[in-house]
Amino acid sequence: MEHHSILRVVSKLLIPPIILYALYVQWHGDYGPGGGFQAGVVFAVAFILFALVYGVDEMMRILPPRLLHALAGIGVLIYAGTGVVTMLLGENFLGYNVLAHDPRHGQEWGIIVVEFGVGLTVASVMMSIFIAFACHNPPIKDEGW
Amino acid sequence: MLEIIEANLPALQVVVPLVAAPVCAMLGRGGRAWAFATGISFLTFAISVSLFATAYGGSPISYEMGSWAPPIGIEYRIDVLNAFVLMIVSGIAAFVMPYARLSVASEIPAERQAFFYTAFLLCLTGLLGVTITGDAFNVFVFLEISSLSTYALVASGAWRNKRALTAAYNYLIMGTVGATFFVIGIGMLYMITGTLNMADLAVRIAEHGDSRTLRMGFVFIFIGIGLKLAMFPLHLWLPNAYSFAPSAVTSFIAATATKVAVYVLLRFMFTVFGFDYAFQASTLENVLLPVAIVAMFAASLVAIFQDDLKRMLAYSSIAQIGYMLLGLAFLTHTGLVATIVHLFNHAVTKGALFMVAGCFVLSAGTSSISGLRGVGRDMPWTTAAFVAGGLSLIGLPLTVGFISKWYLVQASLELGWWPVALLIMGSSLLAIIYVWRVVEAAYLKPAPEGVTRREAPLSMLVPAWILVGLSIWFGIDATLTTTAASRAADTLIGSSQILWQE
Amino acid sequence: MTDANALLLALAIPTIATFLIAASGSRPNIRDGISVVASIATFAVVLRLLESIMAGARPSVTLVEVMPGLVINFSIEPLGMLFATVASGLWIVTAIYSIGYMRGAHEKKQTRFYICFALAIAAALAIAFSGNLFTLFIFYEVLTLSTYPLVAHKETPEARAGARVYLGILMTTSILFLLVAVIWTWNLTGTMEFRAGGILEGNIDPAFVPFLLALFAFGIGKAALMPFHRWLPAAMVAPTPVSALLHAVAVVKAGVFTMLKVGTYIFGIGFLGRTGASEWLVWLAAATILIASIIALTKDDLKARLAYSTVSQLSYITLGMALANQMGIVGGAMHIVMHAMGKITLFMCAGAIYVAAHKTKVSELDGLGRKMPLTFIAFTIASLSIIGLPPFGGAWSKWYLLLSAADAGQLVIIGVLMLSSLLNVAYLLSIPARAFFAPPRGQMAHSLGAAASPSKGWEEAPLFCLVPICLTALGCIALFFAVGGIYEYLLSIPILPETAP
Repeated sequence: MEHHSILRVVSKLLIPPIILYALYVQWHGDYGPGGGFQAGVVFAVAFILFALVYGVDEMMRILPPRLLHALAGIGVLIYAGTGVVTMLLGENFLGYNVLAHDPRHGQEWGIIVVEFGVGLTVASVMMSIFIAFACHNPPIKDEGW
Repeated sequence: MLEIIEANLPALQVVVPLVAAPVCAMLGRGGRAWAFATGISFLTFAISVSLFATAYGGSPISYEMGSWAPPIGIEYRIDVLNAFVLMIVSGIAAFVMPYARLSVASEIPAERQAFFYTAFLLCLTGLLGVTITGDAFNVFVFLEISSLSTYALVASGAWRNKRALTAAYNYLIMGTVGATFFVIGIGMLYMITGTLNMADLAVRIAEHGDSRTLRMGFVFIFIGIGLKLAMFPLHLWLPNAYSFAPSAVTSFIAATATKVAVYVLLRFMFTVFGFDYAFQASTLENVLLPVAIVAMFAASLVAIFQDDLKRMLAYSSIAQIGYMLLGLAFLTHTGLVATIVHLFNHAVTKGALFMVAGCFVLSAGTSSISGLRGVGRDMPWTTAAFVAGGLSLIGLPLTVGFISKWYLVQASLELGWWPVALLIMGSSLLAIIYVWRVVEAAYLKPAPEGVTRREAPLSMLVPAWILVGLSIWFGIDATLTTTAASRAADTLIGSSQILWQE
Repeated sequence: MTDANALLLALAIPTIATFLIAASGSRPNIRDGISVVASIATFAVVLRLLESIMAGARPSVTLVEVMPGLVINFSIEPLGMLFATVASGLWIVTAIYSIGYMRGAHEKKQTRFYICFALAIAAALAIAFSGNLFTLFIFYEVLTLSTYPLVAHKETPEARAGARVYLGILMTTSILFLLVAVIWTWNLTGTMEFRAGGILEGNIDPAFVPFLLALFAFGIGKAALMPFHRWLPAAMVAPTPVSALLHAVAVVKAGVFTMLKVGTYIFGIGFLGRTGASEWLVWLAAATILIASIIALTKDDLKARLAYSTVSQLSYITLGMALANQMGIVGGAMHIVMHAMGKITLFMCAGAIYVAAHKTKVSELDGLGRKMPLTFIAFTIASLSIIGLPPFGGAWSKWYLLLSAADAGQLVIIGVLMLSSLLNVAYLLSIPARAFFAPPRGQMAHSLGAAASPSKGWEEAPLFCLVPICLTALGCIALFFAVGGIYEYLLSIPILPETAP
């Protein structure tokens, strides 16, 4: 759909703010509605919009499916890994208190890290799902529009 | 380091397979993924054995997740009952994994095997989590983890038989309905008590007394779990899911998933709601008894007419679940022991039988009984394993099935319920019919024309025979399992807030 | 060797033989040799145990505790010893006979046959030596399962159907009735041990005793009490050595042995007599005796006739238990021995006739006695023993059963026993009578005439078949004279409860 100039221009204008907004939602989950789940979805939306306008193949060039699968796994590992780290540091699993110099900061750091893992996984999974479905159908030729 | 591991053993029971799953997904081709998953399942089994050894001594283990104290925090609580179930689940996984190498290799394409083992590890995580947790909502979370991965595992049978996709979809819809009922029930409990910790719920429910919301919560939870454990008539997803899933998957879930659901039922009925409310006030025994008996007979009858071996075993599982519910319906200590010991006995028997079915699929290319004519000659060891497992299903002495039957009949005779005792024996007779159909076809009929079959490979035969051996060993010397079941029943009754009926 | 070790050895030898036979399946001579050697060895050990028992020893071995309070225990007492002696002694005879029969009839799957044979004997000995109901039930089921492949041996559709009936009836009765009775007994008394004078007295409401007895009597399907007798004629599809084993040695004797054992050591003969709970069983057993004999008269197939004869004879023993007095137990136990010896001869003769002349029907046997005189003489001797005429062993067991009926004041039963003897004459003696005195029919005359011209007029069964037949026929006569010792021995079966010193 690249030759539809309106779509192209608007998407180029929108995608970066969407990504920024996703990052904003990600890090501000502490203070307001937000966190990893929502942020991940918003992040994925940016790329899905890209794929809709510029084609799934382009998107897959930037983010190959295998990379997305790996990132999804890495997100889970970040979350669980935080728990393992806290265990090694003497607390129970996911006891964030030990992660910093005092419990309050420890909790903050813990949440930030695990939410990051969540956001990574959710974004990767949303994009993988999209690609899995989108690749089923051949792209519609421009004349079809 | 060792103290850290010891102190965090309950968490590790779930964390080890959980962390292993994404790692497994990145392992590329099937062989490495299989080896890794097998190692993890052995490790998990070792952890559950250690936990069982501690809990068997008498003191329940309590572990706070995130170092937050219950009832606000999520607590993992292990007593004899769930330690027993943990061992069953991880033990079966440890036996199925070596078996799975060749079975999965023949049923699933190489590039997808890493994902298969990932889903397997996630399913294991989910089942272990359901069993080990002491928080009601946590049960739901892990239940969904295990269910979602089970749907994926069942669907992976589509490479061999396209019908697995519909079966998985069917299972997905029904399973999600069940889980939704379950979580609505939990929501209602939260509404009246404000807590999600099971021990705390018990106290507050007892204080709260009866109310419509509580009753609704109770019913929703019962129906939701009933669907997960394939209680008649909520069993419709089971035959297709078991028949079309890959053999290793069926071996695993037939032996574990429904057992874990029965455990959840026991835990909620006794620990959370309390015996008095769950059974007497709500007259649940009037529901459980007929449901159990109908399941025993109807499912066995249908099993007799199946041509596909796996389907027949699936219906047989529904009947066996009927036995577990029957033990519960007696509301006596003996009945409860029968249910708990049957969790183990059935897991071992059905695991072995489905492994044998997988051996037939691999070597004979079919699991249809008419296609397996004369297989007793070509695959003697495999067929012998089937016969031994079949004898346990029937409940003949020197097998674990006999132990469960004994306790069930004893429980009914203690109460003076004659007809029930005869009905239990009658359903054994039905089991004879469907097992013997296979025996006759395998040994007494000539093989179909032009078919050559070789004995199943050792890596599949040995785990199957180990499970068969266990089903005979614990049928000859059942003191360990029955004592563990008896202690589990004691703790279950003791954890019930309101006094026991006797 | 101690008695306990001898007990375990007696059970171990047939079990080990099973594996050795399986391993040597490809070398028939070695395999058959192992079968015979194992049978002789087992009998030797059993004789050693018999000596101890007669001297008063009562060895006992506990193997394993299956569930809390339920153990697998072997304890020998006179009744069990008797059954074990009969079973292991006749195993030798059957083993030798089987070699002749299976080779003569060119049967296939002989290894499976000998494996299941050995396993069945092991199970029968385990039943004989059981020290409690639980152990007995376990090996009772093992016996059914191990004899199933023997009944289905020929693998034809008829064999499969017959085996299905066999398994169906035996399993149904044992699971539906016997197991319930066993668990009920456990519930009532808290023990499963066999004790002199029974364990039920004082633990059960006397009104329930007939019901419990009914559960046991119908549950012990191997005793072929009507209406659960159909498995016996259905099992005739098996090769004849199997029928000889089933109908003389292992299966049916295990059934009536269990009947006697339950009556003596679980209920207690005194208790049964006092409560009158076995009255109905007396009449049912009597009915079975007569009805089965009448059916036997109508059967033309030789093995079917012998099968119904067995159904009838087994109820003699059940009758002995039901009459609830000491003579009943003595007579019944003695009949185990006498009938075993007689019936095994009859069945082996039937098999010999099949192997040598390929005849299975009574109507075809006219004049065959001239070609197979030894076989038919043995047949006659065994028939006379079963009918109950001196100087053959069966006379004594019948005598003691008559005494028992008199003791119990059941004069009608005396009439029933006499009538049964007459019926036995009709359906048994007619066979050798026709064989010796009737002219051979149609084709037979031709072939006899043709075959009679060369030197020998005899076409007897192979030697391996003939020798066991003659041995057991002579045994019927020998038992007549040995009855004194047997009688004294059987009196040692405890009827009264053992009073504490």
